[in-house]
Amino acid sequence: MSALVSDVGTRTAVAAENLVKVYGKGDTAVRALDGVGVAFTAGRFTAIMGPSGSGKSTLMHCLAGLDNVDGGSVQIGGTEITSLADKELTRLRRDRVGFVFQAFNLLPTLTAEANILLGLELAGRKPDREWFDTIVDVLGLRDRLKHKPSELSGGQQQRVACARALVARPDVVFADEPTGNLDSRSGAEVLDFLRMSVRKLGQTVIMVTHDPVAASYADRVVLMADGRLAGEIDNPTADSVLSALKHLGA
Amino acid sequence: MLRTIIAGLKARTARLVLSSVAIALGVAFVTGTLVLGDGMNESLRDELAKGARNVDVSVTVSEESSTDVQGISPETLAKIRQAPGVAGADPRDAQQVPLVAANGKAKPAMAVSLASDEKLREFDLTDGRYPTAADEIAVDKRTAATAKLTIGQPVVLLGKEDQRHTYTLVGTYQQGTNSMSLSGSDHVGLTQEGFQALEPERPPYQVVGTAAAGFTQQQVADNVRKAIGDNGFVVQTGAELTQAALARVESQSGEFTTLLLAFALIALVVAAMVIYNTFTILVAQRTRELALMRCVGASRGQVFRSVLVEALVMGLTASVIGLFGGLGVSALLQKVVFAIGDSEGVVRLPMTVTTVLAAFAVGTLVTVLAAVLPARKATRVAPVAALRSQPDSGEEVARTGVLRVLTAVLFGAIGVGAIVFGMGIDNEEAAMVVSGAGTMALLAMVLVLGPLLVGPVNRVLGALPRALLGVPAKLASANAGRNPKRTAATTAALMIGVTIVALVTVVANSAKETVNAEIDQRMPADYTVSSAVYDRPLPEELAAQLAAAPEVAKVAPTTVVYGDRAYLTGVPRDAIGDLIRPTVTSGSLADLGDGAIAVNADYAKRSNLSVGSTVDFTPVEGTTQKLKVVAVIEGQGMSDGLMTLETSKRFPQALEGYESILVKLKDGVTNGRAAVEKVTDPSPLAVLDSAAETKEQLNQQLNQVLGFIWALIGLAVVIALFGIANTLTLSVLERTRESALLRALGLTRGQLRLMLVVESVLMALMGAAIGLTLGIGFGWVIIEALSTDTMAVPLAVPFGQIGVMLAGAVVAAVVAAALPARRAARTSVVAGMAEA
Repeated sequence: MSALVSDVGTRTAVAAENLVKVYGKGDTAVRALDGVGVAFTAGRFTAIMGPSGSGKSTLMHCLAGLDNVDGGSVQIGGTEITSLADKELTRLRRDRVGFVFQAFNLLPTLTAEANILLGLELAGRKPDREWFDTIVDVLGLRDRLKHKPSELSGGQQQRVACARALVARPDVVFADEPTGNLDSRSGAEVLDFLRMSVRKLGQTVIMVTHDPVAASYADRVVLMADGRLAGEIDNPTADSVLSALKHLGA
Repeated sequence: MLRTIIAGLKARTARLVLSSVAIALGVAFVTGTLVLGDGMNESLRDELAKGARNVDVSVTVSEESSTDVQGISPETLAKIRQAPGVAGADPRDAQQVPLVAANGKAKPAMAVSLASDEKLREFDLTDGRYPTAADEIAVDKRTAATAKLTIGQPVVLLGKEDQRHTYTLVGTYQQGTNSMSLSGSDHVGLTQEGFQALEPERPPYQVVGTAAAGFTQQQVADNVRKAIGDNGFVVQTGAELTQAALARVESQSGEFTTLLLAFALIALVVAAMVIYNTFTILVAQRTRELALMRCVGASRGQVFRSVLVEALVMGLTASVIGLFGGLGVSALLQKVVFAIGDSEGVVRLPMTVTTVLAAFAVGTLVTVLAAVLPARKATRVAPVAALRSQPDSGEEVARTGVLRVLTAVLFGAIGVGAIVFGMGIDNEEAAMVVSGAGTMALLAMVLVLGPLLVGPVNRVLGALPRALLGVPAKLASANAGRNPKRTAATTAALMIGVTIVALVTVVANSAKETVNAEIDQRMPADYTVSSAVYDRPLPEELAAQLAAAPEVAKVAPTTVVYGDRAYLTGVPRDAIGDLIRPTVTSGSLADLGDGAIAVNADYAKRSNLSVGSTVDFTPVEGTTQKLKVVAVIEGQGMSDGLMTLETSKRFPQALEGYESILVKLKDGVTNGRAAVEKVTDPSPLAVLDSAAETKEQLNQQLNQVLGFIWALIGLAVVIALFGIANTLTLSVLERTRESALLRALGLTRGQLRLMLVVESVLMALMGAAIGLTLGIGFGWVIIEALSTDTMAVPLAVPFGQIGVMLAGAVVAAVVAAALPARRAARTSVVAGMAEA
């Protein structure tokens, strides 16, 4: 972990260059990403923001290797992923990427503990028990481990998802509207944890959100509009983000 | 509303087509069965119509005759011919006659006399011409093929005293599909003179005649009756003859149709379950859609009707497809029947109103009925459900209804009661029916309990794949167990099919083992030489010739004496305990001397005999003899009593020759068969059997029947597998987001496919495992019911065949999972996550 911390602010965790993603063909073609170039420094918490249809979710999908791109390149931890076959890409996700989605993060058939360890099991890796305990305690999930997702509250479910994303110590955690389905208190808990995982544990987190308050937890906000980068805010506050968004909308 | 329904049907075409396949298969089976039954009826009718065609008057010997009329004498025939209005009359007769085939061996054939009036003949000429002279012969087309006879060649028949009658083959004819042709018996036709030469004094059993111009059938019949008198004869008009024949048709083909319908019923139940399950899932998945319809103002009734109309459309479409598929099934089954009977029948596909109605009743009515419960469930969807983000059809699953348990207990009580009661019945057939019904009640119990069994069975079956295949198998096992009701309903169909296949197989196999054991007991000798033709004993000198062969250690000729409701065997005194080894229950075989008899336990019980009593045995030919009972013996397949060869010669029948000759070879003789054949070859009657060969033959026949049943139930199993594929496809659709999540977390495409395949295999194995357990248990019950004090049928489980069944289930499950798995793996992660 110390190595990670020492890298803070210097190493690039994820980078995209001239990224193009087109939906549809001919007249109806929509350039969801139109030459996006962006880099995410390791050990930082970055939020991607933009109005609906700005391409922020598409950008995240392409960065995470969930979707293929029509042009440009994406590197995760120095590995070029746009040329990888599905199997290698799957392995890369399993080993080096963590995910927290807006909803439906957990498999209903597995207990919270099994859900947290699912990624490691898929990779055939032994969980680091100490690390697992740390995460579970920080997230306050100790007495919920044996429960099925249907027995957990929305906030608890998202915390389980966070635990799963972190337990494998990935190069980067992608969070897609992680608080979209939560009340403000549960949302704040999840965001607090994400920020803490960056500050204290040296994790790299990239979060897509449309909520200025959520974005204010990040170290840096990347703004998007019409498939292009539309600006950046370092050390954002809810107000600064809001005004930047207003500017975009105008 | 209708527009919404049509739009819905269009949007879900793929899912509906898949569900329709199950219905169509069920319909096809029911239709196929009915068409097959009708087709066989029709062919029987045609056959019988052939027998009565052009006949205006028929005279047969009355069966209840108190007079001693054995047949129709030449005098009677003359009277019939002279009766006013009779244009012509010819006798019809048939008798069994050994036919010497190209290899010099005799085989039993049925010889018939051909009417001199060609119009009155019952056959259709296929090649050459009918015989016109006493030394000419025509043979059935199939006989010509199997005995390797061609037109122009000589054909040899053996007369009463084994004298050879040689005829020239002039033509072949075709018999229709009837019991005679299905039995595979050979058939030859001779002129009246040629036929009489075989056995000159034999009177025919029937005379058929035609009416002269201007006479009605009734007038001719009346005239004939007047001419020969009523005593001992039945005089019928041609129309009456046809009718009497047709009356027999129903009873003959009825049994077979009933059997087929029983299988059709199984297929139907299985199909209904698959349909029910499919609709339950379809409705559950559409919760949001239905709720949205309620939100925008659809009433409960409208939602209910929309689901039913969908079922109706699906049922109708599937019925039409199934109806035509059924014709194919029927054609196929007829081909199978012909292949088993080795006959060349014409495939008939009559389509009756009943068949069409049954097809639509099964396809449409069952589909709609199966959809009623799910449709009712659909009406209970609250409009607010439209707003929930994740419709989950896996809710309200775990409830263990009290009603369910009570129903199961009721079925269980009925089943156990019927089985216990059935075991106590002496009559084998009644015992089997009652116990069989009991097992079906138990099957119903297990079906009702299904959802409760899924959990534990899944845990046990899932253990191995979980250990071997890791995470994907773990997920698959969890998925298979997540919705016990759905899994139970899906596997139930397969369970029923496998239960019945296993039941039939176990019973058939046990019967086979019993018969094999019986053959072993009956044939301790290396070879048994017997007569190819029933009623033609072997010449006595054959025994001496066999005994003289250097490879033969010992021979034991046996004789047989038929009496009233019993038959006795004569054996050489010194063969007892050596080549003939009965089990003695009382008395001693050492006392078996002249005028003594050892009776079989069955016969002893029947005729109230014990050691020391005397039997007055009245043979079919000759006079009653007193025989002293010296022992009671046991042995399946033994005759009713054993006596010495000398004692048996008191009866004229035993003097005619030997029933069989048991041959024991010297130790170390390897080419025994050739050695024995060298002696028996010159005799056309002598055929060689060894226990192994006889078993082989019997087993082949049993396997054929079993194969037919496997094929029939196989269809039900196919429907069941479509059910699994169906459930899996729907589950895959339902779990699109889940699959996408797993892919995002690092499950490879291959692993996702593996997961679905394992889930499919688990479901199939669940059905197969429970089905096999039940089937074997039920088989044991039926066997116990069949067993009597004197004939115990031990349980013999055919592990090989059961292994084949299990392997088949696994393979089929893999196939069933192929499409859903492909579909799941192809969905992109992002698209999957976006799915609501």
